[in-house]
Amino acid sequence: MSAQETPKIPPVQIVYGAIVYWITILACLICMIGPVISVALPDNNVLNPYKLFTVIFEGKDAQTVWLEVGGEFPGGHFYLKHLTYGDGFTQFGLALGCSVALWALIAAAIAYISDKVYIYVILSLWVAFLVALSMLGIVGMH
Amino acid sequence: MSRLFRSPLLEVNVMLFVLIISYIALGLFTGNTETEPGTMSGGAIWGWLFGFFFLSFAIAMVAVIGGIGGGVLFTPFMLAFTPVDSLIIRATGLIVAMFSGLISTGPFMKGGLANLRISIFCAAAYGVGAFAGAQGAIIVAQHLGEIGEGLVRLALGVILASLAVYFLVGGKKIEWPEVKKVDAFTKWLKLSQPYYEISLNKVIDYPLTRAAWVIFAIVGVGLLSGFFGLGAGWAIVPAQNVIMGVPLKVAAANSGVLLGMGDCIGVWPYLLMGAIIPIFAAPWLVGQVLGGLLGAQILIRVKAGFVRFLLIGFMFFSCFGLLSKGLGMLGVIGPVPNWLNGLVFLIIFSAVTRSIIKFTRSES
Repeated sequence: MSAQETPKIPPVQIVYGAIVYWITILACLICMIGPVISVALPDNNVLNPYKLFTVIFEGKDAQTVWLEVGGEFPGGHFYLKHLTYGDGFTQFGLALGCSVALWALIAAAIAYISDKVYIYVILSLWVAFLVALSMLGIVGMH
Repeated sequence: MSRLFRSPLLEVNVMLFVLIISYIALGLFTGNTETEPGTMSGGAIWGWLFGFFFLSFAIAMVAVIGGIGGGVLFTPFMLAFTPVDSLIIRATGLIVAMFSGLISTGPFMKGGLANLRISIFCAAAYGVGAFAGAQGAIIVAQHLGEIGEGLVRLALGVILASLAVYFLVGGKKIEWPEVKKVDAFTKWLKLSQPYYEISLNKVIDYPLTRAAWVIFAIVGVGLLSGFFGLGAGWAIVPAQNVIMGVPLKVAAANSGVLLGMGDCIGVWPYLLMGAIIPIFAAPWLVGQVLGGLLGAQILIRVKAGFVRFLLIGFMFFSCFGLLSKGLGMLGVIGPVPNWLNGLVFLIIFSAVTRSIIKFTRSES
């Protein structure tokens, strides 16, 4: 421990924190509005909300829930085709929130390049690559 | 007044406004919809959506005061006391843990308490573990059926009991670890970053060590978090603090950032196989974000150390529910009668009340 002048917070931290914060809030707002669209227009959903909760509380597994309520699981990125659906819009909010680290890490990597801290450029891109890989589902073992 | 129109209160107010309008609209739409026989009534749908939000909001608020992550409270409770499928609960649990981390990231980064370099370094390992853990959970769920469900509950019950004891005794944590020798690898990583410590009114620069060892620990933590859908702050903080010598407050701040970053990797296998059901998960997400923001704004200033005992009691009760349900699913015991559930609750409640009284006396 040592006492010095108040240190300057690295700009890369500010950039990373701001991107994560604002995208998280945006995802949250989308997830507030999505369920309203869902119940207002029950037929405008992949999963009818009025049937959905009954099946979930019967303890059925995820595949069965999608099969019984929606016909079949349309894939995790189904919001790309059904953005105007209530659950499609909500899924978009979830996906946006679940990918926030990717966008923030790319920005952090760029900021580290300008700071010439190359080891963290590589590490930021590595973690961003892991998020992207996970999002694309290329290495799913099931 | 002008404070209300400045960040963070501005966004909190906007979110509260949208939330209120949303639930009024939900109430109007669900109240006026005629549902088919065999489906849930509109009022019940509204009740569940609001109940999920309210529970998540309450969990996020008390988690801030109690210093225990939301995921650790959500996943065991839901697994123990609801009939919902374990994979759906664990997937939603990861959303709860992740968003409580994400919403704390901004303030921690801006305030300089969290260290982005340590967080990225740890996330490089944590993400691998969380991804493998999530894949493992899906494989177990697809191949082991009811036995897998029972085993997951039993394993989580044992983990939760250990955690509750760990929280009770405090664990081995050092506020200001003394680092005697910095190894070459850690030095090369340039992980240290001085910060202004408000309680001491001085700048703290902290040397670090054993960065290579922390990688192994963090992969294991990620595996556990991804598999069980728990937040893993309880393990990430001591891993950084005890192994690397990160000051306790910095380690706690980093853990929020790391959970938000690393669980972005662990959560996608669940999303891509349909275990995250949008309308079911959304109110939990909203509760974590709003509860985390408001909790940090209001409750962090409240002296309420006793909440910790309530949360530990809650964990012990969830643990009992998990073990009894797990054993029931494996066919070892029959259904637990209500009087036994009530008796266990009473015993735990008495112990919690006693601890709170003792704590309050010692504080005064």
